Amino acid sequence: MARPGVEDGPEDRSLWHMIFAPTVWAVHFAVCYAVQAIWCAKIGGDIATLRVVLVAITIVALAIISFFGFRAWQRWDYFHDRDYIHGGETDEDRREFLGHTGFMLACLSFVAVLYVAMPFLIIGSCI
Amino acid sequence: MTDISRIGGARRRRDQSAEDVLTPQGIYPPTEEMLAEPVDPELRKAQEERLKAVWDEPPGWRYWSAVNNSEVGVWYSLTAFGFMLIAGVLALLMRVQLAVPDNEFLSADRFNQFFTMHGSAMMFLFAVPMFEAISILLLPAFLGARDMPFPRLSAYGYWAFLIGGIFVMGSLLFDAAPSSGWFMYPPLAIIDEGVGSDIWLLGLSFIEVASIAAAVELIVGTIKCRPPGMRINLMPLYAWYVLVVGAMILFAFPPLIAGDFLFELQRSFDWPFFDPERGGDPVLWQHLFWIFGHPEVYIIFLPSIAVAAMIVPAAARRPMLGYHWIVLSAVGTGFLSFGLWVHHMFTTGLPAMSLGFFSAASEAVVIPTGVQLFAFVATLMAGKVRMILPMLWIAGALAIFTAGGLTGVMIALAPFDWQVHDTYFIVAHLHYTLFGGMIFPIIGGIYFFYPFITKKKMSDRLGRVSFWLTFVGFNICFLPMHLTGLLGMPRRVYTYPGDIGWDWPNMISTVGSFVIAAGILVFAWDLVRPKPKQGYTERNPWGAGSLLWSHDIPDPGWGIRSVPYITSRYPLWDQPKLLERIDAGRYYIPDAEEGLRETIVTSAIDARPQHIARITGPAWCTIWAAIFTGGAFILPVFKFYLLAGLSGAAAVGAVIYWLWTSTALVPEKPMKDAGLGLRLPTYVSGPSAPGWWGVFITMLGDMTAFASLVFGVFFYWTSRPDFPPPGSPHAVPLFVGLAALCFLAAWGATLFARTQNRRHDVVTARLCLGSAAILAIVGVGVLFMSVWMPGLAPASHVYPAILWGLAIWTGAHMGVGVIMQLYCLAGSMFGKLTPRYDADLWNTTLFWHFLLITGLVTCAVMGLLPGLL
Repeated sequence: MARPGVEDGPEDRSLWHMIFAPTVWAVHFAVCYAVQAIWCAKIGGDIATLRVVLVAITIVALAIISFFGFRAWQRWDYFHDRDYIHGGETDEDRREFLGHTGFMLACLSFVAVLYVAMPFLIIGSCI
Repeated sequence: MTDISRIGGARRRRDQSAEDVLTPQGIYPPTEEMLAEPVDPELRKAQEERLKAVWDEPPGWRYWSAVNNSEVGVWYSLTAFGFMLIAGVLALLMRVQLAVPDNEFLSADRFNQFFTMHGSAMMFLFAVPMFEAISILLLPAFLGARDMPFPRLSAYGYWAFLIGGIFVMGSLLFDAAPSSGWFMYPPLAIIDEGVGSDIWLLGLSFIEVASIAAAVELIVGTIKCRPPGMRINLMPLYAWYVLVVGAMILFAFPPLIAGDFLFELQRSFDWPFFDPERGGDPVLWQHLFWIFGHPEVYIIFLPSIAVAAMIVPAAARRPMLGYHWIVLSAVGTGFLSFGLWVHHMFTTGLPAMSLGFFSAASEAVVIPTGVQLFAFVATLMAGKVRMILPMLWIAGALAIFTAGGLTGVMIALAPFDWQVHDTYFIVAHLHYTLFGGMIFPIIGGIYFFYPFITKKKMSDRLGRVSFWLTFVGFNICFLPMHLTGLLGMPRRVYTYPGDIGWDWPNMISTVGSFVIAAGILVFAWDLVRPKPKQGYTERNPWGAGSLLWSHDIPDPGWGIRSVPYITSRYPLWDQPKLLERIDAGRYYIPDAEEGLRETIVTSAIDARPQHIARITGPAWCTIWAAIFTGGAFILPVFKFYLLAGLSGAAAVGAVIYWLWTSTALVPEKPMKDAGLGLRLPTYVSGPSAPGWWGVFITMLGDMTAFASLVFGVFFYWTSRPDFPPPGSPHAVPLFVGLAALCFLAAWGATLFARTQNRRHDVVTARLCLGSAAILAIVGVGVLFMSVWMPGLAPASHVYPAILWGLAIWTGAHMGVGVIMQLYCLAGSMFGKLTPRYDADLWNTTLFWHFLLITGLVTCAVMGLLPGLL
């Protein structure tokens, strides 16, 4: 049964909302690669500043992913009925399914962003 | 992909509510009483006869004009399988050559041709087309649709594939095949004499276009042609994979097409994109190739896993454990696989930090890949497994793929890769992933779906013989290659000296390769042998739960008798009486009163019925279009540019004829009874229409190709100190600005034409369309003037070459945009496009949204960049 007071909005029936978090991963990846490539090819010199810039970009990306993850978690609304299968035919099943999958994609994207951040935490040169 | 308008919902699109727009009326969803009501037996019989007549395949030689997904899918799969066998023979010949040291069985040049064609054919002529072929064949049945949304497009894709494939493979017979390896690295592929490289670039570009066409169709099929009630959370997992892989093709293939475009300009006109002496950079090709090439691996792998995801629940006799985990892993893999491409380029001398990004992403992709394998294993553990033959192949696939994945984790680490790069270790790794991730699941899938496709069964005994031969042979052949590689044997050498420890492993591999061949031959024989004595199979031989197994025996051609209302992930398990109601014609569109082929179009997320789509039937114009498109790609190989141009024009003509005579036709009545008390529009325009989605998705791919060209500009800027070269002239800013204004005005006029047409102001709409076309042509002219006037010579340096390349790209696209505007204008004149029936104009406007981005970005790069850099 639908939870009283929960209205089904357009974002609850949107695949785009489901893939926001991995899109942030893709943008973060591309930006890190581009900033690093341009820095090393055109600016050069101070690698410490580059690392600070990349860490800042990463923190922003993680924050955005966490936000989308939280929104997806709300859409899943697990503690309401503890449903994690969503095999039914109602609006609620579809909303919780998109929320659940979106939440897990956000978790995956969070970890993947951390993976991509490791190189500039470890490697300290442009060579 | 959102559902905005709903039946009776308060949220309506502003422009749709404006005028004359019809929305579904009546009862939805159907009640149980309505479904329980019996169908009059005489009506049922009459309906069946009408449906059969409409969906019958053409008789005699006209059979080849068929466009049904069941026909095209079978041709497509058998052709791809045929190319696979040829490519397999090439592999056997190479193994014979390598069996003993200092062998002279094949010359070095022939060996080069063979390994190039083995890789190219297996990738471009087998793996990707096979996914599309099987999906065209199966997807409508999984979704309870009558056919794909654009049947003639599938047929066009198939004929293009056949022509391109024969052209590329045929070059082997003339000793003229490409010989620079399946990834065609410059400078080798550029200085290569003869037509081999051109055959590769143009022939395979042609096939890539066909692949993208199929991908567009599959995506639209998945999101718009599901049966009513099959919400996104109830979709079969197969459809999820098709959606993800289709999207990946859209973003992976275009960079390669952009690369081919640059490469062929260099081969034909000596524009120095990859020539370092004139400012070019061969590494750009490697980037563009592998942005395609690595996602390609997952484009091959995911559909096969999709097949496995249909077999595993049937074998385990329980629903898949963790449906959403599988969706997560499919979508997650789809994304992460785009962050891996540089791991093929670890030895090109990129900065360590760049390598680190790609190494890290390569390790991260293991997470979603692992998740889906664990979901399979968990389902098998939780269910009561029958070791049916398809499951045996899947089990073999899991074992082999896991081994390949583990070596993948090793070589994703740059320092390890430096040791084994370009050795047989890589050959072993990639064959483990591709055999385990593609060949085994596909063969298992053929055994599984064969009763659906031919209504007969393959032999269980032969299948087991084939499995064990292939499985054992595979490991004998490829396991020793890990060692051969670690012993230092480079790949692609045509022979090697004796006594350096490579003799025995090579001999063992050769023996193994023939054992694999025996296994594949047993399978091929079982596939094609006539089975006259065998009766028809039962309807659901594996006891599976997906809608596909509601098929009719023998095949009456109509796809599904009536389109059901779905409320479960495994309808055949969970919805009692589903089958009998489908057969009785109790559900939607059970009839073909008007003698037209129809299928039901539903909303993207909740699968609410929106529209009854009239779909196209048998035609020759698709074959002509494919032949002439082939001419436009193939003739430039032999430098027949004039003929190629004529052929291209003929192709455009054939396509216009096809569209004009069979798409977006004004219907005989605006609404139609769909059954179960629901009335649906017979014509929709804008985002409810499958055609609109087709344009949208095609243009996403087109934008990716354009983005790859722009990436090229920035790549030259970062990698080269002389870009732009000092003292070089630039594009004339005034002209570039004028061109941008023309494009903007042309776009605005097109958009205004659409709104005015809706308001019955047809005269203004026509004037706008005509002037928009003129503005676009003027814009292109001015754009070319801006690079021609200052004397930018494209053969002199990469900077003028890339400016010319961008201008050509934009000009060609504007040409298509103008043709579309004129098509709409003609439609308006001849009553094909009216204020109410305006789908073509919606699609043209959508195309122009993307075209405007192309035009303005081109102008920005040409006009503003020199000042910024």
